[in-house]
Amino acid sequence: MNISPTEAEEALAAIQAMTQKTRHSIASSGAYIFLIITGIIWLVGFLSTQFLTGQIVGYIWSGTSILGTAVAILLGTRMGKRVRNPSVNASAKRAIIFWVLLVFYAIAAVAIARPSDGKQVTMFIILFTMVGQSAMGLLLSFSATWWALPITALALVGYFLLPGFFYLWMGVLGGGGMIALGLYIRYRW
Amino acid sequence: MANLNETIHQPVRLRIMAALVTLEPTNEVDFTYLRDLLEVTDGNLGAHLRKLEEAGYISVNKVFMERKPHTYVSATAAGRKVFQEHVAALESILKRK
Repeated sequence: MNISPTEAEEALAAIQAMTQKTRHSIASSGAYIFLIITGIIWLVGFLSTQFLTGQIVGYIWSGTSILGTAVAILLGTRMGKRVRNPSVNASAKRAIIFWVLLVFYAIAAVAIARPSDGKQVTMFIILFTMVGQSAMGLLLSFSATWWALPITALALVGYFLLPGFFYLWMGVLGGGGMIALGLYIRYRW
Repeated sequence: MANLNETIHQPVRLRIMAALVTLEPTNEVDFTYLRDLLEVTDGNLGAHLRKLEEAGYISVNKVFMERKPHTYVSATAAGRKVFQEHVAALESILKRK
């Protein structure tokens, strides 16, 4: 089979265009929204923890978390019908059991370590959540693994170097970073 | 030097393979989603998918979800390899220009 350089150029351009269209379509059909939702929950939750006191902080965290989880489940169901991973579907029960066990181990670790303040409890939650995120990423979709590392690094920097502004740091850089990454995937990826 | 693949070079099949190869190797895409992505008709897409399946470049998986039939399509390992070779062949033609 022989083709001219012009035909080869056109074929490569068609491949490039289709690759970009597919990436953009998958990203804009839901993947970026998970990051934005989590980012908004962190931004609102941590800023309220930094600047507010009393039960209202707990209500804000609970409200945003429940709303975010509901939206994420709805989007995940919609997304799963378009592009799916059969081995992931088969492993879904194991993934749920893994998260239940991880929560149990996190509670046990907190009970044993007896953190002295809210920042330490927050760090335990972030570290266990990011361990879970990394494990899910490695098992189910390698591209979802990497972003747990910079989030963990940000949390550690805030905890050790900026204890007075820890929640503000986590809200603006952790939450804001996730929102920015989600928007980048949506518009530039 | 890699050779051009006649089965893949057809414009619609080239775009089908480009879309499928963009997915992660373990992922598969819904038929209707792929049809909308490529902007082709059901019949046209079905015919090209059969050709690619016969060549062993894609895998077609029919499943029931919520009591409705769904067809999922993915690129096989052989399909990914042949597609990469085809792209390399196209690039080598351009380099010789």
